[in-house]
Amino acid sequence: MKGYEVINNIIIVNRDLTELDIFLRDFLNILKKHSDYLVVSGFVSIATGRTRGTEDIDMLVPVMKKEKFERFFNELNEKRFWCYQGDNVNEVYLYVKDMKNIRFAKKDEMFPNIEFISINETRKAKYFEFTHPQKIKIKDFEFKIPPIEFEILYKEIILKGKKDIADARHLRIFFSDIVNNKKFEEYEKIIREELKK
Amino acid sequence: MKLTLQKKPETDLDYVEIYAIKLKKDNSLFEQQKKLIESQLKSSSSVFRNSFGKGNEFKLRVREYLRKIGLL
Repeated sequence: MKGYEVINNIIIVNRDLTELDIFLRDFLNILKKHSDYLVVSGFVSIATGRTRGTEDIDMLVPVMKKEKFERFFNELNEKRFWCYQGDNVNEVYLYVKDMKNIRFAKKDEMFPNIEFISINETRKAKYFEFTHPQKIKIKDFEFKIPPIEFEILYKEIILKGKKDIADARHLRIFFSDIVNNKKFEEYEKIIREELKK
Repeated sequence: MKLTLQKKPETDLDYVEIYAIKLKKDNSLFEQQKKLIESQLKSSSSVFRNSFGKGNEFKLRVREYLRKIGLL
């Protein structure tokens, strides 16, 4: 069977769920009740077959108001997640308000963890990918990632580490049948703007 | 588009390419990937649980460690 297919614009990856997917699914089942999100970076490559280990799953989330974050934070606690930055929602919200990243893991575990990245319209490249999601599905687990072309270019132009270049190469080859040159051109301009800051 | 690697693989990226080409056509390689991911998670979980304990003690000691390495 092929590694993936595209049905109704959803990328269907033909594989079983891993424990890492289940960790993400558990977290998203809570987050989706409170906010929208986008899963970005290394996990996009890993979810589509790149064979390497990872410790975190990066996630963009629009910056939340205090009351909404409090409800979300309390539900995470009830469902056995903990936050690296603190147990007190008032303390942790200071990070969110300042758009500093925070991390969540399962109780008594350090890894894997979710790197929770608050964004707003001022973060142009991140806001662009957030507002242009691509749906991906593994078994019955569907979630949102950036457009593949955007993810490749972000890794090649902004992140540029050894593992990012390898992730980008994997995505370029694995998705060579569906990536679109016009989208590469369009997204490259947006990403290069980010470099000027 | 037919993808094949033209040269003998030498670098890490060459192997990334070979793997991606094969995986596109044959999803059975995902089984290996699942094993690798889950084995890494199991080892890191056991290392940190042994180092930091459980419950509130775990959180306190992890935070202390994260502060020490500048991540908090």
